[in-house]
Amino acid sequence: MPETLKFHFTPVDEARAEEKNVHEKASTNVADTVEVLQGQFPGAIAKVSVYAGEYTAFVKRESLLQVCTALKETLGFTYLVDLAGVDRFCEDAPRYEVYYAIVNLDTGKRLRLKVLVDEEDAVVPSLTGLFKAADWNERECYDMLGIRFEGHPDLRRMYMPEDFAYHPQRKEFPLLGIPGSLPLPPRVPEGELTMDPFAAARSGSPAKSYQEPKGEDA
Amino acid sequence: MSVATPYHDREAIFSFWPRHNETLLKRLESKDAWLSTRRGIEVSRVEDALEHEMTLNIGPQHPATHGVLRCVVKLDGERIEKCVLDIGYLHRGIEKLAESKTYQEFMPYTDRMDYLSPYANNVAWCMAVEKLANIEVPDRAQWIRMIMCELARISSHLLWLGVGLMDAGAVSVFLWTFQGREDLYSIFDEVSGARFTVSHSRIGGLATDLSPTAIAMIRDFATRYEEIIKGWQKLLNRNRIWIDRNRDIGVISKEEAIELGLTGPNLRGSGVPYDIRIFEPYLKYNEVDFTIPIREEGDCLARYHIRVEEMLESIRIINQCLDRLPEGPIRTDDAKKAYPSKDEVYYSMEGMIHDFMYTETGVAPPKGAASYHAIESPKGELGFYLESDGTGCPWRARLNAPSFTNLQGLESMMEGHPVADIVVLIGSIDPVMGEADR
Amino acid sequence: MNSTTGYLTTTVDAVVNWARSNSLMPMPMGLACCAIEMMAFGGPKYDVGRFGSEAMRFSPRQADLMIIAGWCSYKMSHAIRRVWDQMADPKWCIAMGACASSGGMHRCYGVVQGVDNFMPVDVYIPGCPPRPEAVIHALMDIQEKIRNEYSVTQDYTSGQKEIVELSARPGSLTVEGRKVALDASSLADA
Ligand code: SF4
Repeated sequence: MPETLKFHFTPVDEARAEEKNVHEKASTNVADTVEVLQGQFPGAIAKVSVYAGEYTAFVKRESLLQVCTALKETLGFTYLVDLAGVDRFCEDAPRYEVYYAIVNLDTGKRLRLKVLVDEEDAVVPSLTGLFKAADWNERECYDMLGIRFEGHPDLRRMYMPEDFAYHPQRKEFPLLGIPGSLPLPPRVPEGELTMDPFAAARSGSPAKSYQEPKGEDA
Repeated sequence: MSVATPYHDREAIFSFWPRHNETLLKRLESKDAWLSTRRGIEVSRVEDALEHEMTLNIGPQHPATHGVLRCVVKLDGERIEKCVLDIGYLHRGIEKLAESKTYQEFMPYTDRMDYLSPYANNVAWCMAVEKLANIEVPDRAQWIRMIMCELARISSHLLWLGVGLMDAGAVSVFLWTFQGREDLYSIFDEVSGARFTVSHSRIGGLATDLSPTAIAMIRDFATRYEEIIKGWQKLLNRNRIWIDRNRDIGVISKEEAIELGLTGPNLRGSGVPYDIRIFEPYLKYNEVDFTIPIREEGDCLARYHIRVEEMLESIRIINQCLDRLPEGPIRTDDAKKAYPSKDEVYYSMEGMIHDFMYTETGVAPPKGAASYHAIESPKGELGFYLESDGTGCPWRARLNAPSFTNLQGLESMMEGHPVADIVVLIGSIDPVMGEADR
Repeated sequence: MNSTTGYLTTTVDAVVNWARSNSLMPMPMGLACCAIEMMAFGGPKYDVGRFGSEAMRFSPRQADLMIIAGWCSYKMSHAIRRVWDQMADPKWCIAMGACASSGGMHRCYGVVQGVDNFMPVDVYIPGCPPRPEAVIHALMDIQEKIRNEYSVTQDYTSGQKEIVELSARPGSLTVEGRKVALDASSLADA
């Protein structure tokens, strides 16, 4: 059988190191920064992985704040571009990881940090004190994966209503959702309709707008 | 007749999301105003809170919120003292959806993220996957992608201009810019067969080539609209009302913009020269000649100027691309990495099998591969962070949405301004909720 | 009465329906991508003003046709329903696009699989997004529906519903099985 007719869609197991990625960018080559960090905080960086010319430094959770402070204050990585959580699910523990994409605007470099988080103890120090941009991203990560951020000023859900009890981005959450977890509006509204969206929150009696007539089956 | 339920009986009341509203309100009460913590300006000057203070809820259904943004503001007289934004009214879990789709299958969803410029999203997704799976794209496809991305930028900014001015009170500009969008729609219609949910880009290239008619239409558009946009500039750049409503509104300094993580025109309006087209050039942006408009003021007017100038720059890029458009294939000729051409599919068995397998499984990047690729969408840095587990579906697809990051900045921008400026502010940072809500 | 001033016999219903159907005030519930096509529908090229519906009303109190354009999440559904409840009767609703009609491509935890799960819908428009022509078609369907409506009083007093043939669209009224053409000539020689 000629080479070209093999079953090509079998997943490739490991990335082949010798292959040069055609989309590689100079901006993601941050070997020197990683080296500086390793020198400055021995033991803080557990592992460095490179794929497609992109450096990922796996930072220990305890030293995340130190590393980020150094990055921001001395190495010029001032612009937090992205922050998100990843559910690794069936790989060996720890289960979650949080990734940070930080950019140095002056030298034009892009660095990625990762922190591994255990399922039982899913808490990560918050970066809101350093980068204000981390605020919503951390809330989103909390909403989607249930990772808590220590020191975050306002850890509410970002997207789902507070009344929702699950963290949908987790792998075990079904894509179609859990029936009944998000109630639809009642067929016939009970109680009075009001113009005040905070009526229940204030639990006072707001001004009535009008009385909705009761439906026959109410 | 049933008895009316008492108000504090929360189970029975028809009020949307009581617990959610409760936390929102609590947050509004407990929040520190950004102005006072950051700039040392004391926001609240009220002696008698009962007299002047008011909590106002704007949205999620409000014409000026550009979709379904919800702002809860605390007013002191007419000044916004604190503001809390609530998003998620369009949340559908696009990142979760991606995990159950093949890479190619997910592409139509990207159309529906930032629906003002779908082509840019298509390209962002395709390039992210191409980087992850190391797929080369033929030259012609890259040039065409560039043309279409710039057209998408124009179409997005056109809508922003029209709607932004409509919010400020000038309805006629909306009609003019929509005429421009209709012209763009006909181009997209000719190119891909859809008015704006184009899904025209493919992993490894494009679905179809540009027809001669399409090229003629694009040329025509580029020549006509250069004049038209300059005409709008003439109308607006010195327009008293427009300037008064925009100047010194929502001022964000350079440091603040970086700290808040603003992207796109909002960041460049504060004087930070960060544009992915220059920062890490993708496609052929390093081969064309264009400038990135930058302003230092950081107010709404600066953002307006930047967007309008960007449209002119886009036209410049389009003209250069059309002149330099090379001949050649539009999709990579590797059936493991991209769809085979329709000729192959219809007339050869092998092509058909490949087509089937590509639809079924698609590209399978190596196990453990992870990469991030960003493009400069009209709203700012639009990036995808992808992780692969070696199968045809992404293990994790992270969308770094520019509207989301920009909205975050809006919350602090609003504080200290009169209520009437809310519409101008929302318009000036140009959020699209479909993208911000993922 | 001289021959130049004619008169027309009709029912109150016919006149009211005619008036209502030609001055529908849409409440654009623009949620997502379909909202952009809805803007095009109101924009210069497709110009819904030809059908008397160009006055988009963002206040539910002033509108009588709700166009739900876009996917509706569970979180949003309560707000939509609230706006719908605040609209004054009589009111109609168009579910525009696959998402509003059935959830469409967004088959996932956050999205209600069709707005008819929590509110009544009169016309569904397929398409993702539907072209503005399709929206105009839906508007014309609503107009036709309105023209064929009876007030409750007539239903009760006559005790029987008449079977009404569907009128040809547009511009003609069907009243009690007869076609009434609404143009000047018929007024003149009536
Ligand atoms: S039907 Fe299509 S275009 Fe309309 S809202 Fe849904 S996804 Fe968007």
